[in-house]
Amino acid sequence: MSAHVPSPGRAAVGNFLLAGIAPFLLLALWFVLPHIVSYQAYKLPSIATVAGRMVEALADGTLFAAIGASLQRLAIGFTVGNLIAIPLGIALAMNRHVADLLRPLLTFLQSIAGIAWVPLAIIWFGLGDAAVVFIIANTIFFAAIYNTVVGVESIPNTLHRAVRSHGARGWQVFADLILPGALSQIILGFRTSMAYGWRALVAGEMIAGSSGLGYMTIEAVQWYQTETIIMGMFVIGLLWLLMDRFIFTALERATVVRWGLMQR
Amino acid sequence: MSMAIITRGQARVVKGTLGIVLFIVAWQVSVPLVGLGPYFYPGPADVLRAFEDLLAKGILPTYLRDSAGRYAAGVLIGATLGVVAALLIGLNHTASRIFAPTISFMFAIVEVAWIPIFVIWFGYGYTTILIALSYVVFFPVLYNTLLGVRSVPPVYVNAARALGASRWQLLSNVILPCALPSMITGFRVGAGFAFRGLVFAEMVAAKTGIGFLIFEGAANQETARTIVGMIIMGLAWLFIDNVYLKPVERATVERWGLVITAQARE
Repeated sequence: MSAHVPSPGRAAVGNFLLAGIAPFLLLALWFVLPHIVSYQAYKLPSIATVAGRMVEALADGTLFAAIGASLQRLAIGFTVGNLIAIPLGIALAMNRHVADLLRPLLTFLQSIAGIAWVPLAIIWFGLGDAAVVFIIANTIFFAAIYNTVVGVESIPNTLHRAVRSHGARGWQVFADLILPGALSQIILGFRTSMAYGWRALVAGEMIAGSSGLGYMTIEAVQWYQTETIIMGMFVIGLLWLLMDRFIFTALERATVVRWGLMQR
Repeated sequence: MSMAIITRGQARVVKGTLGIVLFIVAWQVSVPLVGLGPYFYPGPADVLRAFEDLLAKGILPTYLRDSAGRYAAGVLIGATLGVVAALLIGLNHTASRIFAPTISFMFAIVEVAWIPIFVIWFGYGYTTILIALSYVVFFPVLYNTLLGVRSVPPVYVNAARALGASRWQLLSNVILPCALPSMITGFRVGAGFAFRGLVFAEMVAAKTGIGFLIFEGAANQETARTIVGMIIMGLAWLFIDNVYLKPVERATVERWGLVITAQARE
């Protein structure tokens, strides 16, 4: 009898095997491509060259140094941006007149946040760490303040009246209505703002940086070290998937989904 | 009495405009207070002068046209290929399970990270920008369409089949309408990333365009030009979003009652 019960383990193995087909095909194509079409070797180095470069970069610590530099900047920018934006956003949105005054301005500033600030950041902070952190914090700040204002405003008026007619004032309105009401929007906004922040990080490092993954890949263009570029791309993709899965999806599950505000 | 004629919506517009005016005034007032000169901290007056200059020399219209052309071409190519690929893959459950993880990995390698290798492959210029933009639209459209196709309730498919729907009818009457909201969401996400991607790609790989203007202004110590570029960029995005993207969403998704917007709820 037990043979008829579909085992979840077997389904997972099946999924895993299926998911492996496409990467395998890509690698196979990469392997046979030089035998089919002719191109200069530097344009697409072999899998072995890229793997060798990766082993080398892992062994001498340069890859971890680049990852560490990038992630550290991202963490600082994300924290600073949110720490300024969320309290400010709540304070602004709690007054309807102030919110009306600022909404178009914020919408506008949000649409230019990030990469476009790179040249100004270089003028203000010079090439290097501070400029890149500024760009990330700037991206996160405008996205977060917008999300916070929208979050506070999405709280239905009936709830405001209900809370007030029950005698809540000042701090109680804030702690029991505004904060929980806006929180789900703020948390859901983390992932979007981080997607823009991550791009701003890589772009910022390419133009204004002196270390990190973006700097590593753009620097390799000068020397035609395509294997370093491909390694960088692979690491950039992998890091984003890991962050998305283990930080943002996990956070959403533990909060918004658990509170029943969003189904997955 | 005249106050009563002003609706809440109009009052919002008036207040919003006032907010922008106040911001510009505060910026102008802060210029002598900061006192670092137009290279570090140009004021609105400097920016206006730079704008007139760029307009008079015909630089701005040319750059704007180049950027718009690149953006439109990249987004259209990416979206078309994305939908075609999604229909080829998404209608088959096994194919969808095979490709979905790889697709999400490819999308995780952000378009910005592809620019260096595109430069190696295609050099600095139009091809690199076009491919990078197509790339960043292609994957969200493809991925979200796959999700949309997978979320079609089997009951609907079975019901349509039981009523004798052909394969084509099943596709056009059940699967596509169900997958459309997800597809449109993917398109909007991609269009948003593509816009920032365009500005970055023009900074690195172009000699014209709004992104180049932003970059070149700072490099030539004409910071006011950089700010003109940033303002044009912001206005261009608001234009694209309000004139093209939101109406598409409204005309398809909302009309079919598939998404309840904040506006409709009020």
